[in-house]
Amino acid sequence: MAALVRVGAVCRAGRVFPFSKSLLIRPAAILPQDRSSLPASPGRPASTKASLHWTGERAVSVVLLGLIPAAYMYPGAAMDYSLAAALALHGHWGLGQVLTDYVHGEAKVKLANAGLLALSSLTFAGLCYFNYHDVGICKAVAMLWSL
Amino acid sequence: MAALLLSTVPMGTSAKQEMDRFWDKNARLSRPVSPHISIYKWSLPMMMSITHRGTGVALSAGVSLFGLAALVLPGDYASYLDLIKSLSLGPALIYSAKFAIAFPVMYHTWNGIRHLAWDLGKGFKIPEVYQTGYIVLALTLLSAAGVASL
Repeated sequence: MAALVRVGAVCRAGRVFPFSKSLLIRPAAILPQDRSSLPASPGRPASTKASLHWTGERAVSVVLLGLIPAAYMYPGAAMDYSLAAALALHGHWGLGQVLTDYVHGEAKVKLANAGLLALSSLTFAGLCYFNYHDVGICKAVAMLWSL
Repeated sequence: MAALLLSTVPMGTSAKQEMDRFWDKNARLSRPVSPHISIYKWSLPMMMSITHRGTGVALSAGVSLFGLAALVLPGDYASYLDLIKSLSLGPALIYSAKFAIAFPVMYHTWNGIRHLAWDLGKGFKIPEVYQTGYIVLALTLLSAAGVASL
């Protein structure tokens, strides 16, 4: 967790690669009088949302990194559902970045994002179904590896 | 600090608006895709970068296929493993298959740690980028070979 706070702090300090200055505008870079000219969105400014999303992606990555050895040492239902959620979310956000890079045009972007959301939802549902009605992710890997 | 950031980010536009403007201009002027990939000499960091994305997309596809299969296939998991067992594949083929699964998992995991270090602002000097790249490749080969032999 301390590492994550650190990640956020580093970003706010603007020390990350220059790319992030345009993609992830930090709140610190926006003077109070400029806020009104940002696109209207409910709640937080778009830049804060992007920043929170960026931090969220890293948080899920770190969680998934910890889940792999944890699932090996303590396999069970808790690990099965944690893996289902972390894998689905990490994949959803990762593929989302790929779509952002390669899909252009408002209609196409909307369609691609809707398709991705459907795929990710079905993936999460399928993994949960497997955990509930079948052997679960941990046991499945163990069984496959026993071949 | 604020002056530096404001000089690179036009005031009152979001990142999305900037990107849209960029793509609109490229489309209007019929410019080729930029960066124009084929003009670059291939280097280790760029190959490792696209491999990270490639393994990520492939693993995600694998997880999704597994989840969808659980929803639509009639049999249970054990029955499909029995089917594989009935094929009596040799140990070399089994090891190769496990290595083929372990390799992208290990690569994406180790290189993911490299990415998290970059996110903390560490390891951006070019010699460091190469050094950590070689470390990731070595760890990937060793761990994938080890995991496949379990």
